[in-house]
Amino acid sequence: MIAETITAPSGVKVRKAATVRRRRSGSSRTVAVLLLLTSLLMLAPFIWTALSVTKPTDVAFANPPVLTGYTPTFQAFVDLWETTYFAQYLVNTMAVAVMSTIVALVIGIPAAYALSRFPGYVSAILLLLALVFRSLPRFSVVLPMYEISRALGIYDTTFALAAALVAINQPFSIWLLRNFFAEIPKELDEAAMIDGCTRLGVLRRVMIPLMRPGILTAGIFVFLFAFQEYLTALVLTDTSSKTVPVFITTQLGQTLPMLQQAGAAAMLLTLPVIAISFVAQKYLVAGLSDGSVKG
Amino acid sequence: MRRREFSLLMGPSLVVMLGLLVIPLVRTIQWSFQEVQYGSPGDWVGLSNYTHALTDPRFGQAVFFTMLLTVIVTAAILVLGYLIATGMNGLGKLRPVILGSMLVAYVLPNIVGAVSFSWLFDQNFGGAVNYVIQAITGQDILWFTQTWPNRFMVIAHTVWHLLPFSMLMILAGLQGVPMELREAAKIDGASTRKTHFYVIIPTIRGILGFVCLITIMDVLRTFDNLIPLSPQADAIGNESIMLYVFDTAFRDGSQQLGLGSAVNVLSILLIIVCLFPFIRGLLKEAKAKA
Repeated sequence: MIAETITAPSGVKVRKAATVRRRRSGSSRTVAVLLLLTSLLMLAPFIWTALSVTKPTDVAFANPPVLTGYTPTFQAFVDLWETTYFAQYLVNTMAVAVMSTIVALVIGIPAAYALSRFPGYVSAILLLLALVFRSLPRFSVVLPMYEISRALGIYDTTFALAAALVAINQPFSIWLLRNFFAEIPKELDEAAMIDGCTRLGVLRRVMIPLMRPGILTAGIFVFLFAFQEYLTALVLTDTSSKTVPVFITTQLGQTLPMLQQAGAAAMLLTLPVIAISFVAQKYLVAGLSDGSVKG
Repeated sequence: MRRREFSLLMGPSLVVMLGLLVIPLVRTIQWSFQEVQYGSPGDWVGLSNYTHALTDPRFGQAVFFTMLLTVIVTAAILVLGYLIATGMNGLGKLRPVILGSMLVAYVLPNIVGAVSFSWLFDQNFGGAVNYVIQAITGQDILWFTQTWPNRFMVIAHTVWHLLPFSMLMILAGLQGVPMELREAAKIDGASTRKTHFYVIIPTIRGILGFVCLITIMDVLRTFDNLIPLSPQADAIGNESIMLYVFDTAFRDGSQQLGLGSAVNVLSILLIIVCLFPFIRGLLKEAKAKA
């Protein structure tokens, strides 16, 4: 779960590539090999699953494991698509993630800007409350949400789930964005206001363009949170707005073909995550070690 | 910034958090003093949910398991994170590749990682780990139904999932250690081991404390990964506090919603105690600015 980053002591930044070039010695080569092995180990569960879902069903979970002598197949993916409501669940997951990301940013950006510029106790207390709310046990808000959504007749809708996730991730978004805003000098606001900008104008014309990397970072995180959310989706959805993570667990206790389909679904859910880990690595690292870090 | 502008910008976000976080939280607190079911008003029963929770052996077991998991995982993550970060710090071109493959474990949906883990271990799924162990020792380990093997698997998965975060934070800390400090230690004749223990670790202790806090809070709310990794959690004593809440207040109907809510309130109190140093730091900072 990545939702739990709070504030760290100040002054942390991951610098690009080693600032000091070291001479390639025998020991540094050993370290490199060890690290490569470690990262392979970190990917192992994932590689194993990739193997299992591309085997024919009869040998997919055979004991001892079958590693050679079979023809790789994508049948599990085809079955997943044709015999389950996976497409629907994927649409639900995407819809929830996209909706909640957009809303979280639209309401979070002005709030974070306000918190970074308004001095004194009010901001401090609001940030503190955000910190506490960010660390609450999920069930303490999600179970009442279940009751409220039933009462309002919006239980098991993507809308309800997206709204819940906006609220749950709002404290994190505000913290992250506020820390990015705090790095922009206040003199810039003042200069723009002397030139005749209103507060909203400053935010729209000056801050948002400057904040693009920060907003992208926050967006990626909120999207990922929504995309992976299991607990909230488990409680707030039933059949019509079920998301992929919930679907995967409901397949687990079933027969072999369904199990293999769960693996296929898991792989499909993982691919975008891998893409983000490599392509948007800069933003992930910034969000984890820079943005979310400073108090 | 004027007060009016502040409220205007803060407003929408505050309304959402008030409606969807504060109101539900108040409801949880209210439920914790009631015997209640979803959608009904409930009867006030005073502290009986709390006394029930604190005297329920199943809850005691859940607390024990969660604490055990927290202590082992936090220790493992600090040590491994430090070692890997130290290795990474001297690394050049390879860094983005290794960082990327480690990040996958962290940003992957927890449930997906846990499913993969369960398949890697158990013989029912032709798991590689189980196969290797069997080939070497001749023993067949039942990862899902025996308490300690299951604990080992849950611990391994949790470490696997949380390690990249700690590694990344410690790496950031290591890069903030001034080169002069290392050189001074070297000139003074400190061994590598001593440089780490007396120079580098004390310099980044703030970061280590932070990683420790985040890890503790993450592990305290272990829930997702137990669904695939420990289907019989309750029977083999590997139920986490959150899973206990889920079972009492949701899965088995809503018979014990009050009890689950009381446990939620107790966990909130625990979390606030853990957060206390950070809250104090923030308040100090605010005072200095005001």
